[in-house]
Amino acid sequence: MAAAAAAPAPAPTVFLLMVNGQIESARFPEFDDLYCKYCFVYGPDWAPTTGLEEGISQITSKNRDAQQALVWNFPIDITFKSTNPSGWPQIVVSVYGPDLFGNDVVRGYGAVHVPFIPGSHRRTIPMFVPESTSKLQKITSWLMGRHPEFTDPKVVAQGEGREVTTVRSQGFVTIAFNVVTKDMKKLGYDVSPSDMQNPSIVSLTDGIHNH
Amino acid sequence: MAEVHLIGQIVGASGFPRSSLFCKWGIHTGGAWKLLSGLREGQTQVDHPQLDDVAYWSHPIDVHFATKGLQGWPKLHVQVWHQDPFGRRELYGYGVCHVPCSPGWHALACVTWQPLGSWQERLSQLFVGGGPQLLNSDLIYTGADRYRLQTTAAGTVHLELGVVLRHFARYGVEC
Repeated sequence: MAAAAAAPAPAPTVFLLMVNGQIESARFPEFDDLYCKYCFVYGPDWAPTTGLEEGISQITSKNRDAQQALVWNFPIDITFKSTNPSGWPQIVVSVYGPDLFGNDVVRGYGAVHVPFIPGSHRRTIPMFVPESTSKLQKITSWLMGRHPEFTDPKVVAQGEGREVTTVRSQGFVTIAFNVVTKDMKKLGYDVSPSDMQNPSIVSLTDGIHNH
Repeated sequence: MAEVHLIGQIVGASGFPRSSLFCKWGIHTGGAWKLLSGLREGQTQVDHPQLDDVAYWSHPIDVHFATKGLQGWPKLHVQVWHQDPFGRRELYGYGVCHVPCSPGWHALACVTWQPLGSWQERLSQLFVGGGPQLLNSDLIYTGADRYRLQTTAAGTVHLELGVVLRHFARYGVEC
């Protein structure tokens, strides 16, 4: 008569992070006709499962009214799986536009970590370009249309090697995120103060067996 | 062992007299803490801002600690330096700020200070630059010998730090 006990669900070993949202708009007082590229940079414990890791947006111009906003409204949708919050994904945004002579030139790089608290978030990130330190180099690059840029935009998401670069910050990009996570609590991670009220208490013995 | 992840960035600095700034930062912890992955110190790029007076670095921090005790909770210490067009570097401020103890995303503003020299040193600093610096940088994050110092206020360093805790509730820690 006893109903068969359901087999206990196996403890999860990975958690999922689903991010969607958009690169909304940018504010660059000195530049116009810009497009942006985004890509995600993450640590070795992370792998994207679905969605696009990179994208290029349309070219947008400032409206003639006083607003002076550059709007892309460019959607982002990606899901990651991981075993470890280290190496949490960052979105790297690079903005490009034409210079005086029509060449395509980088107008800013910026990066921010994807928020880890589930819910809706908005981040405004500063955008910077690498700058040459000599005045002659600056004049030459303005004339030739070849401004300094990073060979791989993913460098912007790392902390190493930055001490030798000089940059100029010249704009902002606003990104909206909606974040959903799965099984972070089951793995023992607490990401917001309300989690501590209903904390993820895995029994001490389970924890020892899992390790 | 309980684990703490710090995921965020050093956003920038404001309130300093000149704006071509960079920051050397480090995270100091007590003996019970072990660094599992990530860099616990670094140096940001030098920024010349075009728009505001705020220098933006957006320097990512992604550190993973394991700990056996609460003592020595991580402290983030910063040194803000100015680089002039000739490449000379001058100290603009020291600051320290504890990493928040509750999980979540926190926007922190770390105040900084600059050592003050004698009036002769201040006069030469006005013309030539370069003021007194601490010989022992431990003083930035400990309070033990601070009473010997005289300092003046400097600007503010802005940080966004996310804190993820693991297994703290299992040990009965409320935070």
